[in-house]
Amino acid sequence: MPANNMLLSSSPHVYTGVTPRKLMLSVIIALSPVSVYGVVLYGVHALLVIVVSIATAVLSEAAFRAVTKQDVRIGDLSAVVTGLLVALISPPSVPLWMVALGSFAAIVLAKEFFGGLGANPFNPALIGRAILLMSFPAAMTTWHVPFKGLLDATTGATPLNVVKMGGTIADVGAGFVQNSLSSVPDYSSTLWTLFVGNRAGCIGESSILLILVGFIFLLALRVVSFITPLAMVGTAFLASWLLGMDPVFGILSGGLLFGAVFMATDYSSSPVTPLGKAIFGAGAGLITVIIRRFGGYPEGVTYAILIMNAVAPFMDKLRVKKYGFVPPAKPVAKEAAK
Amino acid sequence: MVTKTFKGGTHPPERKERSASTPIQTLRNVSQVVIPVNQHFGAPIQPLVKVGDQVKRGQKIADADGRMTVPLHASVYGTVKKIEPRMQANNLEGLAIVIEPLPGDEAVFMPTLDPFSCTKEEALARVREAGIIGVGGAGFPAHVKFAPPPNKPIEYVIANAAECEPYLTIDERVMEEHPEDFIDGIAIVMKIVGATKGIVGLEDNKTHLVPGLEKAIAAKRSGMDIRVQLLRTKYPQGGEKMLITAITGREVPSGGLPMDVGCVVSNVNTLLAVSEAFRKGQPVIDTGLTVTGGACETPKNLFVPVGMLVQDLFPDVARYDEKKLKRIVMGGPMMGPAVPSMLVPIQKNTSGVLLMDETEAKAYGEGPCIRCGRCMRACSCRLSPALLNVALKAGDLDEADKIGVMDCIECGTCSFVCPSHIQLVQRFRVGKQLVRAKKQKEAQRAGK
Repeated sequence: MPANNMLLSSSPHVYTGVTPRKLMLSVIIALSPVSVYGVVLYGVHALLVIVVSIATAVLSEAAFRAVTKQDVRIGDLSAVVTGLLVALISPPSVPLWMVALGSFAAIVLAKEFFGGLGANPFNPALIGRAILLMSFPAAMTTWHVPFKGLLDATTGATPLNVVKMGGTIADVGAGFVQNSLSSVPDYSSTLWTLFVGNRAGCIGESSILLILVGFIFLLALRVVSFITPLAMVGTAFLASWLLGMDPVFGILSGGLLFGAVFMATDYSSSPVTPLGKAIFGAGAGLITVIIRRFGGYPEGVTYAILIMNAVAPFMDKLRVKKYGFVPPAKPVAKEAAK
Repeated sequence: MVTKTFKGGTHPPERKERSASTPIQTLRNVSQVVIPVNQHFGAPIQPLVKVGDQVKRGQKIADADGRMTVPLHASVYGTVKKIEPRMQANNLEGLAIVIEPLPGDEAVFMPTLDPFSCTKEEALARVREAGIIGVGGAGFPAHVKFAPPPNKPIEYVIANAAECEPYLTIDERVMEEHPEDFIDGIAIVMKIVGATKGIVGLEDNKTHLVPGLEKAIAAKRSGMDIRVQLLRTKYPQGGEKMLITAITGREVPSGGLPMDVGCVVSNVNTLLAVSEAFRKGQPVIDTGLTVTGGACETPKNLFVPVGMLVQDLFPDVARYDEKKLKRIVMGGPMMGPAVPSMLVPIQKNTSGVLLMDETEAKAYGEGPCIRCGRCMRACSCRLSPALLNVALKAGDLDEADKIGVMDCIECGTCSFVCPSHIQLVQRFRVGKQLVRAKKQKEAQRAGK
């Protein structure tokens, strides 16, 4: 009779089988269309940037945890996601040592110093990018026209840059035609080019279409909530429109959608409650537009999300009403209830 | 028919198919029974018999005065061998009466009683004397549940036929094989509490039971408003609060009871016991349960004498693969406790014995919370398990209380969905005790 060796544990005795590793793997799958497209646009160097960034992230996480005598958990793939994100929000011509530095900073400074997986208050990839942007402003804002190689002669401005410099959407369209990224310079084909993502920018941020593909995949698997991205994009749309900018152009250009889908939904640096997610997203969208309109940078997604990261812990107080919630009775009401 | 449900929840693999089509087998011959004296929620009761006494099947063997008590009856005809503390199904030791059967079957039941012509007091006394407790969960005395104070009128009697726990099929089989007794039980409870509506809350993975139940309703109680309500197959659909909300749209207020929203909820086997107590005069001496699991080679649905030891089921009644057996669970896999050996008795509220194999009964260490929010979405009580976990780990009982740890129904959904296998519900169970103890202490201090 089996009297010993029985497993004893408190119920429940069954589990879904979903693990952090599977969640991270689904994020990697969701990021793969934009990654492949980035390599298609910018060639082998973009691939090297991605590989070096991921390798640095994984190695620095393993090294840090080994040195600090913690269990090495590269198996959860979270370092791969961080490394991939750092690469995808870098310009295609970024030197390999530079992206490696960014990746290292993301993992060690922004994540492991705070306790590792699930404990980082700020989005690690965005911290990595922010550090690089401040340290190497020239290299981090050099953009190249797709399909032309990464030569000095093929640098070009991002659509947001064109507008920041006083240009119009028509100028953006003219630029597309000049670089044979679009056939006609009219408004709708300019927006279409932006939607497909055939334009200068970071390696992975340009294709709205492929970002949406990844987003739908993550939504279908219920890995991320739709609340944060919807609130962020919706608020950015509204704010752009109120400030007299073209809202559709604002959403299709720059890193807004990439940030909303893959950065603002980072588990540990964003709120866990539905209302918290909505406010978090709305705040990030608003700050993005304010930076774009009034700030010194053409783009504001990085800082918008980082600023909201700082406020996120307070939003965990915005819980939904529990089942059977009874408001604390006032003295008079209490008497009546009796 | 509209399928109703509640917000949140999850859908664990059902694994009911192995036992769902097996007819219920009734066991009479056992080598001994170990009947825990206190199987109900409430005040303790005392044995009425001594070692050496001969008892008949159905004879009262323990009782006490007091409202929150339920008597206990001998489940076999035999001799009292021992009265001593024994391991119970909840992993705690408690006083138990050990009876060794004698040949033959001498039974002593109560006289039958017509529930529709007797007074309410007579009916409630009968429910108590029959030793009926809620078999779905904590073992709440049925006669207390059926006697709400006059300022809480009852509108609905809800039969909890969801059977949302994976593996278990005993309720399904009872409704298939004894639909008329089951419906009779609902009608009797409606009469006792004065309810106008009787509803069978059935998960929609058991739609094949609907024609049989409707036929039974038409045959037995055509004059009463009893109907079947289909519910979405989702765990914990059979949680009392979830069931009430799905069916009536009402929410049981925090800290309140179903009667606060005009409902009485009873399990299938409780209702069957009610019918038997009146129609046959039979007290609760049998337990309906499902024996199944990956290591069980012959899944069964059984009626066994209360107090039968799990080990006595094997190998005569069912067989299992000793090499595969890794975990023994009393009840369903979501809420049932795991026990260290087969030397535990089957009690009034035991709904199943699961013999789980290695693939089913995995054990994990806790990982870090990645704040994915799955527990927040799945919590059937709309609590915030991830935040409760943080508060309890930090020892912040006030914050845990504020978030609502005392409202946790311990359904285990949060732990089930957690990718990092964090012991959420396990921590909340402890947390509830700590908060309760703290409040008691504060109340004492305030009293002085």
